[in-house]
Order: sequence, then C-alpha cells, then structure tokens
Amino acid sequence: MDYIPEDKRTPFIYLNNAATTWPKPSQVLEEVAACLRNPVHEAGRTTGSGSTDYPSVARESLASFFHADLPENFIFTQNATDALNLLIHGFVKKTGKPFHAIATELDHNSVLRPLSSQEQDGRISLSMVPFTDNKVSLAAIKEAIRSETRLVVMTHGSNVLGSVQEIKPIAEYLRTNDIFFIVDGAQTTGHIPINLSDIPVGAFVFTGHKALFGIPGTGGFYISEPETIAITRQGGTGTDSRTLTQPFEMPMRFETGTPNYPGIASLYAGLRFINTIGLDKIELKEQELTRNFVRELKQIPGITIYNDAPTLPVVSFNIRCIDNHEAGFILARAYSIITRTGLHCSPLVHERIDGGKGCIRVSFSWFNSPEECSRTADAIREVAQSADTQVRSDQGMR
Amino acid sequence: MKEYALNEPLTEGFLKFLEQFGTVRLLEQLRKPYFSFEKEQFISIKGFVGDSIVEVRYKKEFQDLVADYFHLLLYYYDQGEQGIAHLKGQEDSIRDKMKIRLGLPKGNLT
Repeated sequence: MDYIPEDKRTPFIYLNNAATTWPKPSQVLEEVAACLRNPVHEAGRTTGSGSTDYPSVARESLASFFHADLPENFIFTQNATDALNLLIHGFVKKTGKPFHAIATELDHNSVLRPLSSQEQDGRISLSMVPFTDNKVSLAAIKEAIRSETRLVVMTHGSNVLGSVQEIKPIAEYLRTNDIFFIVDGAQTTGHIPINLSDIPVGAFVFTGHKALFGIPGTGGFYISEPETIAITRQGGTGTDSRTLTQPFEMPMRFETGTPNYPGIASLYAGLRFINTIGLDKIELKEQELTRNFVRELKQIPGITIYNDAPTLPVVSFNIRCIDNHEAGFILARAYSIITRTGLHCSPLVHERIDGGKGCIRVSFSWFNSPEECSRTADAIREVAQSADTQVRSDQGMR
Repeated sequence: MKEYALNEPLTEGFLKFLEQFGTVRLLEQLRKPYFSFEKEQFISIKGFVGDSIVEVRYKKEFQDLVADYFHLLLYYYDQGEQGIAHLKGQEDSIRDKMKIRLGLPKGNLT
C-alpha cells in the first residue's frame, strides 16, 4: 500500500493499546524531538553539557513511580521481551547447574520461549501452573514447587484476560523460600499503582511503549539483587574503560553500548504525563471505559466474553459463527476500528479459554472516549447480527 | 499474507465466479458487504464487495505452487464461462504437483 498522508487518512478508533498505546501524549513527541535536536549527554560518554541526561532522569522517575529506593537498579532494555531474556538466561547461567523453574499458563511467549529454550537445552525442568478464575494463586504456585525449584516467572497482568495476579503474597513466600521471582509487569505498569518497596520481587519487568506512553524500543527491569543475574552482555559503558571485564556497578553491569536516548526521553516524558494526570485518575477512567464496554457487549447475543470483570482495560471475546480474524478484519476495514485478534502471543491461555482458536481483544487507554466504546459495541453488534443471519439463512436453505 | 489493490472494485459477479472454485461466505448486513473465499490447500481471500483492496493468504505448505492462483482467478474471470473450464484444468495440474510432493497416488487431494 502507498503511504497515505495523515490528513487524508480515514479517522479510526484505536483499541489495541495492550500491544502499543496510541496516540502518544504531545509531551512525549515534543521530548523526543527535543532529545534529537540536541547532542546526547550522559556522564562519562561526552564532555558536552547543557543537554538533559535522559538515562539518569528517567531512572530517577522510574524509581519514584515504582516507589523503589535505588534508581540505579532500573535497567533500560529494548522492551519487556528483551528484559525477560536478559533476566532468565542470566539467572540460569549464574545458577550454573540444572534446576526446576515455574511459569504459568497466563504467561506471554516473552516468558515461555526463553524458558522453553533453556528446558530444551537441558538446563532447567519446567512446570506450568494453571490459572483458576482468571488468576494464578499462591496455593497453585506452592503446589508446583519442588526442592530443586530456584525460579518462578509469572505475568502480573494477563494480556488476554485483563486479570491481575496478587504478587505480594507470592513474592513474600518465594523470598522466604529462597526462590528467585521475576514478575512480567508489561501489562500492569501505567495502569495500576505498583509499590516495589512493599513487594519483595527478585526482578520486575516493564515496557515503555504500552501504558507508560513511551515509543517502541523502550522497556526495562528493576532488580533487587543484581548479583543473582550473570552478566551476558559486555561492551562500552563510558566507565572503567581500562579493564576488559564488564563493570559490576549498576547500571553498567547490565547496560552496555549507546543507550536509546530518544526512546528513554519518551519514557521520561510519558512518566511525567502520567504523574501530571495522576495514575489514580487514569485507572478510574480506564476501568469505567472497560465496565461500560463489557456492559454493552453483554447485551449482544452470540458474544462470549472470557473475563467480564477485568482489572485491566482489556476485554477479550469471540462472536458466534465468525472467526476472530475475520471479525477483526471487518471491524478494521468496514468500521475503522483497530483491535487485535488471534493468540496475542499467549498460546496457553487460549488453549484453556477457546481451544487455541484465538479471540478478538479490545484494549483501552487514557485517550479513548466513552463514544468510541459505544461505537465499537454498535459495530460488534452489526457483525454479530450479520454472522447470525447468514448462518440462519444457510440452515434454511438446507 | 498479501494485500492487493485492484484496478476496479470487486463485484458480486466475481463472487459468483469464485463459488465455482471454493467456499464463498457473504455477510451482507454490514456497513460494507463482507466476503471471504476459502479454498483448501490453495488460498483464502477476504474483502468487501465494492472495494478494490483484498487480503490474500496463501496456504503455507504449497506456497510456491499457489503463489499465482489469485492472479489466475482474476485472469480467467475476464474470460467468462470458458475461463472456468480453463482454470479447473490449471488447478488439476497444481494438485498433481502437490500430490507428487506429498508422495500420494493420483486422485482427489483432500
């Protein structure tokens, strides 16, 4: 397809925010532009001054946002997948001998694939904990733990069901039992308050391009005990250049090479935007949008909703007699409503809820309006009615 | 998956032609009438009647053999009734190649 200028495009409703939020706040776009207008500045890497040291200010903003003490324990990566790879492979390498790890059926492939790859290489044995009532409980985790369990990785918020796991009691139990706990917070960060000073996680992973309103290519993790993860990337840090080994100091221990300055600038501006609005206000609005949308959806015959009380602004459903990809295509092309269809990179959840066929996912952000929710529900109603009528007429012809 | 921008909008006549070769599904009560075409082992097509953009997915197993199938549909549609017979002949030849690849005896490929 040829490029269509912005002012010539058909207006659309964007409901794929659980993948990447859109639009971005104007402050974010302006910060990225400002970052690129100036030479980059980071201590140790340049003699220049006067520009913003984005990695440092963004790290401090993240520490404040997550109520964590040590800004240097926040590491920037390309995205949550990159962070999970670094943590999982680094933990396995550091442990040095085979052990048992636990993941859950709610997890994304960003967790499942790195763990499966370690399992295939014989470095770990892996158990998948099932979910009940859309959540993974501490009891289910306890049941899966063996004497040789060293690692638990689980999603904080399901990208399909919109359910949020109660990670605090799980983190406390695992800490007591000396089991490292990695939480994938890609779906919860920026939607609900997260207080890392109160939850003893081993590591907490976030992404920048979803509800933190950063641009794609941003993410990272917080780590409480950096020495539990082996250093798997080496290179320039702007410090200790005489030594040929990677510095142990944070954040250079895990950050190497030129940082993604414009991306980190966008993350910094996204955090400022959230703080200006107020996370509580954002959470309230998103929950109201979600509740209203679910209410409208429930009134449409032939709709199966997989969690009708999600905590996150994520609603997954199927329409009777129409494949989810077809429904998504129709919504996009005939109604200009952008959703996400298929397995959402979470195959085990779908295996449980829809037999692995996939579904349609609608996900909201601060920038969606109640009118957009209603227009989307109206469009889904038309699609459902049309699919139903077609099936009835086919049956009548037989 | 490939998206094609056609020279002219798709018509119901084209859908009637497609019915000769696979399963056509039409949802008429939408803002735009939606259709899908499914041909096992070959391709699936999605689009809207009156629209000139279609989405075509080729079946993975035989992608190299069916890569031109959508173009064949367009080409033979222009030939009317005669085109149907010609295209069925072409299909048989593609199916024979599929069978050879699968090591199957001649007959229906299902």
